Amino acid sequence: MFTLLQIELHKIYSRPRTYIAFAAITAIVLIFQFAFKYDGQSYMDLMLQNIQDNFEIDKSKAINGYFMCYIILNTLLIQVPILVALVAADTISGEANMGTLRLMLTKPVSRTQLLLVKFLASFIFTVCLLIWMAIIALFLSILIFGQEDMLVFRVKGEESFILQITKDDIMWRYFAAFGYAAIALTVIVALGMLLSVFAENSIGPIVATVCIVLFFTIVSNMNIPVIDRNVKPYLFTSYLVGWKGFFYIGLDDYGQPIKGSIENWPAIKKSIYILLGHIGFFLTMAIISFRKKDILS
Amino acid sequence: MNTVLQINQISKSFKDFKAVDNLSFKVNQGDIFGFLGQNGAGKSTTIRMLLSLIQPDSGSIEIFGMNLNTHRNEIVRKVGAVIEKPDLYKYLSAYDNLKLFAKMSGIKVSKSLLMDQLELVGLATRYDSKVGTFSQGMKQRLGIAVALVHNPELIVLDEPTNGLDPQGIADIRNLILTLSRDRNKTILVSSHLLSEIELIANRMLIMHHGKKVVEGDVKVLLDPSKTILKIETGDNSKAFELISKSNWTKGLENIQNQIQLEITKSDIPDLVRFLTAHQTDIYLIQNLHSLEDYFLKLTNPKEDVHAVAN
Repeated sequence: MFTLLQIELHKIYSRPRTYIAFAAITAIVLIFQFAFKYDGQSYMDLMLQNIQDNFEIDKSKAINGYFMCYIILNTLLIQVPILVALVAADTISGEANMGTLRLMLTKPVSRTQLLLVKFLASFIFTVCLLIWMAIIALFLSILIFGQEDMLVFRVKGEESFILQITKDDIMWRYFAAFGYAAIALTVIVALGMLLSVFAENSIGPIVATVCIVLFFTIVSNMNIPVIDRNVKPYLFTSYLVGWKGFFYIGLDDYGQPIKGSIENWPAIKKSIYILLGHIGFFLTMAIISFRKKDILS
Repeated sequence: MNTVLQINQISKSFKDFKAVDNLSFKVNQGDIFGFLGQNGAGKSTTIRMLLSLIQPDSGSIEIFGMNLNTHRNEIVRKVGAVIEKPDLYKYLSAYDNLKLFAKMSGIKVSKSLLMDQLELVGLATRYDSKVGTFSQGMKQRLGIAVALVHNPELIVLDEPTNGLDPQGIADIRNLILTLSRDRNKTILVSSHLLSEIELIANRMLIMHHGKKVVEGDVKVLLDPSKTILKIETGDNSKAFELISKSNWTKGLENIQNQIQLEITKSDIPDLVRFLTAHQTDIYLIQNLHSLEDYFLKLTNPKEDVHAVAN
């Protein structure tokens, strides 16, 4: 199994296509950092225009490494599923397209084993992508912008407000958030692999995975009560942004943040279980379908 | 002689299309078994079934005396295959491709082993080149190296000369003969060219529209003095039993309610007399003379196949 995993990782990292994701993330993060370094104040003015009459905020400190990472993750974690789909949805169909799938399946490796190894390799790729994001979005931002308390802008129902998290209470939240993101993106990996099993070229499953993610994300973002109640709970995309929950700090009776707390841990836990359930479902379906599949490519 | 591969009445349909219909044959140890048929005859589907890439709808496959369904991994360890165009990883070198598949085969991989294989197929000097820069012939040879790297006992080659120039075809042919002669490998090689099979195989089978047309020794099948006879009688079971106790048992088979056997032409009248003497009504006696003509007719869709039957 370990040898097979090594082989799969070797294949993933030998392909130029793999590095598109790393290059895209790097470019986006650098653009963000450049823009905020030279014109961050305008952004802050825009964000604070409704509430700056009530609060006095030191804007020069508000833009710091932690805040930058939060802004970047907010933007990137919607696009990263597309980058993950590029690799995951190619795993089986790409091999079928190249004509190497039939060769692999003439070797003493079971189809279940092969699929699980490919899943694991794609998962490792996803984790590497997140580690790279952490390095450039968090640690590079800290180097450029420094460490200060972090402001989190939050909209809850009709209300919008700002949470302040002290700088010594942030790093663990990022580790937890990246861990959550790894689970959320693994759902995309499992979905991409499932669709990949049915196709004999990469384009179809990649496009299908991206379309499903985009469509579900749009539905997940609709603020219509009937959809909130009856549709959103069943869409995995409703839980992809659950990592933000780690930055919603608990408040005491006087509205003061409680250090080390999370406002709604049970909701995060529930989201994690739902995401893990999706991974299990998609992966099981992929294995069942792959085991029955006639290899005609 | 040990039977390496035994296929028993396998069938496979894709929706309404019957790709393989009740096919049975066997390959003995040391054979170069030619698997002949025009494109679409069902050769590749059969080969994919015996490599467990496609599941037959019915029938069974035994390789090295083991059932493929229940002993797949044990079997494939001893089988090497090239299926149609061996498209390998274009972004990897020849050496890396070979190393990767050798590891998947579960063998201990060393540089000398891999270089020996590349040397065998004439690619040692290009070991570091990306496969994307290779010609079709070079890819084909690398595919054969991949098939051989774990020293399999049975080698399955599906149309290995497809898309090759005459020199490439000759190289592959010589390689097959070397593997059989010097390394005692059992080889099943498919082709749509009778001339190819005739040059390398000792036994052969012809398929047409998913069915077996004929199976036997190449020398016998292509011997102009001998022929394949198909007989249909009033009671085929009785006729089959009678013939099986006679001197004409070579290649005797009961295929889809027709008796088939290999026979010297001069013996045909004696066989007819023998059957009629035993009160057997003969409805049809069909001489597939000559096999080469017969195969050419099969591969030429404009002409009626039955026209060559005597």
